[in-house]
Amino acid sequence: MKGLAHLFMGLAAVVVLLPIVVVSAAALNGGRSMLFPPQDPTLSRFAEFFLTQPVWRDAMLNSVLIAAGSAALAVLIAWPLAYGLWREQGRGAQILAGLGAMPFALPPIVFGVGLGFFWGFSGGLGSLWTGIISHAVLFLALPLVTISIGLQSIDRAHLDAAATMGATEATAFRTIIAPQMLPYTASGFFFAFVLSFNEFIVMFFVSSSAYATVTLQIFNSLRNGFTPTMAVGAITFIAVSVAVFSLVARLGDLPRLMGADQTKS
Amino acid sequence: MRDLVLSGIRKDYGRVRAVDSVDLRLAEGQLTALLGPSGCGKTTLLRMIAGLETPSAGRILLGADNLTDRPAHKRKFGMVFQNFALFPHLTVRDNVCYALSIDGVPRAKAHARAEELLALVQLEGFGDRRIGALSGGQRQRVAIARALAQEPEVFLLDEPMSALDANLRETMQVELRMLQQRLGITTVVVTHDQREAMTMADRIVVMSDGLVEQIGTPQEIYHQPQNAFVADFIGRANFFDGVAREGSIDVAGLSLRAQPLNFTPGAPVRVAIRPERVQLGESLPDGNRIPAEVVFLRDVGATRDIHLATPLGTIIAEEAIGTGARRLDLGTRVEVNLPPEALHVFPAATHVPQAA
Amino acid sequence: MSAIEDTSALPAEAPTRRLPSPRMLILWALIVTFCVVPFGLVLAISFGQKIEGAAWEWAFTGENYLRFFVGADWPESRTTLYLNRLWYSIYYAVIAALIAVLTAFPFAYLLTRLSRRAQSRWLVFLLATMSLSEVFIVMGWDILLSNRSGLPMVLRETGVTAWLKDVGWFAQLREWGLANPRDVKFKTSMVATVLTMSYLVWPYAVILLYPALSRLDQSTVEAARTMGAGPWTVMRTVVLPTVRLPLVGTVFLLFVFLLGTYVSVTVFADPSQQTLAISVYEAVRGSTLNAPFGAAQAVILLITGALCLWLGRTLVARTGTPA
Repeated sequence: MKGLAHLFMGLAAVVVLLPIVVVSAAALNGGRSMLFPPQDPTLSRFAEFFLTQPVWRDAMLNSVLIAAGSAALAVLIAWPLAYGLWREQGRGAQILAGLGAMPFALPPIVFGVGLGFFWGFSGGLGSLWTGIISHAVLFLALPLVTISIGLQSIDRAHLDAAATMGATEATAFRTIIAPQMLPYTASGFFFAFVLSFNEFIVMFFVSSSAYATVTLQIFNSLRNGFTPTMAVGAITFIAVSVAVFSLVARLGDLPRLMGADQTKS
Repeated sequence: MRDLVLSGIRKDYGRVRAVDSVDLRLAEGQLTALLGPSGCGKTTLLRMIAGLETPSAGRILLGADNLTDRPAHKRKFGMVFQNFALFPHLTVRDNVCYALSIDGVPRAKAHARAEELLALVQLEGFGDRRIGALSGGQRQRVAIARALAQEPEVFLLDEPMSALDANLRETMQVELRMLQQRLGITTVVVTHDQREAMTMADRIVVMSDGLVEQIGTPQEIYHQPQNAFVADFIGRANFFDGVAREGSIDVAGLSLRAQPLNFTPGAPVRVAIRPERVQLGESLPDGNRIPAEVVFLRDVGATRDIHLATPLGTIIAEEAIGTGARRLDLGTRVEVNLPPEALHVFPAATHVPQAA
Repeated sequence: MSAIEDTSALPAEAPTRRLPSPRMLILWALIVTFCVVPFGLVLAISFGQKIEGAAWEWAFTGENYLRFFVGADWPESRTTLYLNRLWYSIYYAVIAALIAVLTAFPFAYLLTRLSRRAQSRWLVFLLATMSLSEVFIVMGWDILLSNRSGLPMVLRETGVTAWLKDVGWFAQLREWGLANPRDVKFKTSMVATVLTMSYLVWPYAVILLYPALSRLDQSTVEAARTMGAGPWTVMRTVVLPTVRLPLVGTVFLLFVFLLGTYVSVTVFADPSQQTLAISVYEAVRGSTLNAPFGAAQAVILLITGALCLWLGRTLVARTGTPA
């Protein structure tokens, strides 16, 4: 039974890894075609992606800027929202949080179309900053959830204790809540960062072809077929995701963040 | 005198009345225990004293100061919480000097004070430990030290022993009482454990359903319970229902001599007697002697419980082992005496006694 | 005191009514502007009108919806092209969501039985693949299923294709659209589309099922075993009934997520079997350029999604109450 279980999990891992391995190998192709196994293995595609081809270099820079900017902005909006929800637990705060999570829950293509119209009217379609705001709104749900999970772990007796020792609400926030919430805030940031990094549909509509991120660049050249240079992008992105989530796992309790029972060890 | 005075305190949660018109005077330097079953409102009352809850009506005074509208962080009554509420992200030392740090006391001075307090609770050298590395007893000491750091005028403890092992409790009760007497600080302890209350308190306030049932010293509460609830909740008691007569009570067709004060003849009453006051043996004094049969024996070390079937119902008698050295077997027929002065008579059915 | 007296008359422990703080008002403004207004715009524009060229103007016409359901030339002729696309959107999403949940469930169950450390490692792996962009995933499957270097080539080289032809199953594959006259092929096929889509949400499925399964009280499983239930009986009588609601909820969530899938469908689906997401794209930014009609299609997609989320919630709420 135990062996069977391991076999099943291993098999699932292999299937999940299969396309990733194939893409990574395809990056080594010497020619312009995505062949597996690769023909004339070479590392020159890496040089193209990171150094010599400005299209990819700029796209990479945009990806990083938008991901970092939008994740930071999402955390900034999510904090007062999550805190208000936790503090007041009123119907209003709940509705607000539900509305905030809506863009993430509904098909992104619809939100993308909507944001395209929105920025078209307000002027700003095709600017990098509107891309940052768009992704911040789209992924607001992620820091909202991680911060809310974190706040739920705060024992309200701690706040009572702080109050009996002379702490005002602001002092208690600074000395009790904020330090304990650091890992959850960071997790929320990184979740938003990685998902923004990989998103392209919403970005397609709000960038209006004025700029491109890496995934958007690949999306735009979809009709011309994939090239080995794009595969380098894939490898980079997988590496970044694994690194970021490993960091999140290090920072805090990943199983708990994903909703596991806290008491189990 | 800086006595803590509660007058007409009431607390409603919606339609539920958690605390109902409580009037108390807690004398300066004394330890008062709020004692009652869970849900009786004792914790709510304590939290109102701390300023963590606002009373729906009534006033809280310390000496001449009206504290009613003063928030918790301005009262700064030191409080020990049920699960201690120690901050997990701070060290023991930082927990203890929390009140001082947020008050802007210089680091060195705050740390020196923390060391003093840790010494007071016998935790010298524990300052750098993490909270997670402490045992239950150590956590409690840290919580006490932390609450005392701000030199509070009133010291509050909410079920301070409930998170401790049974054998540690008794030690900590004695220790806490000695510490409190040394510091002479006005202290309020919430507990549901009558032994704990009797060990520590100068005065006990027995509560049930948001009401104060009786206020008194541990001895008064135990020996002169004012109603059936207190008699049942504090210690153990045998109960019978009967009818008051002149100088006696009719129970199950028998007439028991007793002092049913202030009862009109014919009034229904509830009679209580503590197990250790039930006498049994051959040469019994004159009193209320009734026949009985031993139905169950239970040796609990220093004492022995004898369950007796009598015309009044089952009576439990407790006797110290070694005094009588009588051999009792199941089925032995004996006579028991219920001394008139040991019978407590209460009006019937004011409270349904709860399982102790 | 009077303010306090007032609150005590309320039926439940209501926090004292305060005016919304300026901070909350700003938040409301922000959220409504960025999370609600874009959807509102889509709805508003779906009633607009296309004018000459690529432009459109505000209007209040139901034409776009009419066109969606019965075609532009109705009542002369009736076309179900767009209904057909909606049908494919739903069809792909349902099958892919079901496949993903059915395979993710045993995996998630086994995952929660591992040590906390091992769970943490698996979660990193799952989250990394989950967040991986659809373009990369499609890229991988494109290579794996392409006629020149993927599975069809492997089948040909190993002689499986020849063997299939010998035993006569090849004809069956052709009927299913999984072979061209000479070779086995997956591009384009419904199998490839649905497989890629379920691959896309598989890590999501595991992550969504993970909380419920990891909170499953293990002592109930042990209790069932002491009463003589074997592993399969335990699964059927204890585990599945306990996590039935999260299971249903996960299918609905994945379904809504998959409704908008774009890249997998463009790459792997036959042009005659494309979805609504594709035609939204084409109407708004692609070849056909008719923003109001694109908006109308987006609204239909949105309503389908919202309806499903609502249905899922009521289903979960109704079956959840008697417990």
